[in-house]
Amino acid sequence: MSMIDLAFIIQRPPYKSETSTLGLTHAISYQVVDMFLDDGQGVIPKVCFIGEGVFNCISEHKSMENYGVTSIESHVKNSLLVDLDMYVCKEDIDRFGIPENRLVDAEDMGADKKLQIVPFSEIQNILNNSKHIFIF
Amino acid sequence: MKLGVFVNEFKTVVETVDRLTAEKLGLIFIQNGVFHATIKENGKSSPLLDKTANFYVLAEDLATRGLTDADVDNRVKVVNYGDVVDLIFNDYEKIVWL
Repeated sequence: MSMIDLAFIIQRPPYKSETSTLGLTHAISYQVVDMFLDDGQGVIPKVCFIGEGVFNCISEHKSMENYGVTSIESHVKNSLLVDLDMYVCKEDIDRFGIPENRLVDAEDMGADKKLQIVPFSEIQNILNNSKHIFIF
Repeated sequence: MKLGVFVNEFKTVVETVDRLTAEKLGLIFIQNGVFHATIKENGKSSPLLDKTANFYVLAEDLATRGLTDADVDNRVKVVNYGDVVDLIFNDYEKIVWL
């Protein structure tokens, strides 16, 4: 089976623009892309939050209450629920003083996957091994 | 001049704000500007908070991003939309948006 690795890099903070949301919805769409591929082909998306993009991963968003829009937290949780591999740059959450226990977790929705906190070197490896890289 | 400045970005506005002077300066952190009031990069508060100014942060934009009053630097006052309207009409002669 021929699988293609895709890297989605989210580097913009949440909500002021649609950028972060677009990155996540594009990544989630991997579930339906099979219909456009030949038999035996598939894609493996990986989502990486770096820089100010790690702000998207702080939990307890109240965007529906305040903006009337689906929260980025919901998109992250749904991504975990469909078994997307998602990575958060450890250097960046440390730099911004974001404790790991403040990050989004989809365990309450029954997701097996969790946000994986990794050093940037691991994200660099993901970039190196991906056929296509999408920056949001 | 009494100048109120809406700060709605985290990284890109620091230099501009740093150059602004006014008889009375108010920095109102909204949208992604709220991270100036909450994030300590490498253990240090935003350099904007070192300015001589009054600082405000919009509660609704904090909550949207999963942040609470407890995350806010003690130099910054948490305000709601109604308070911001009062600031615009009562406290500042000119308002700019960065």
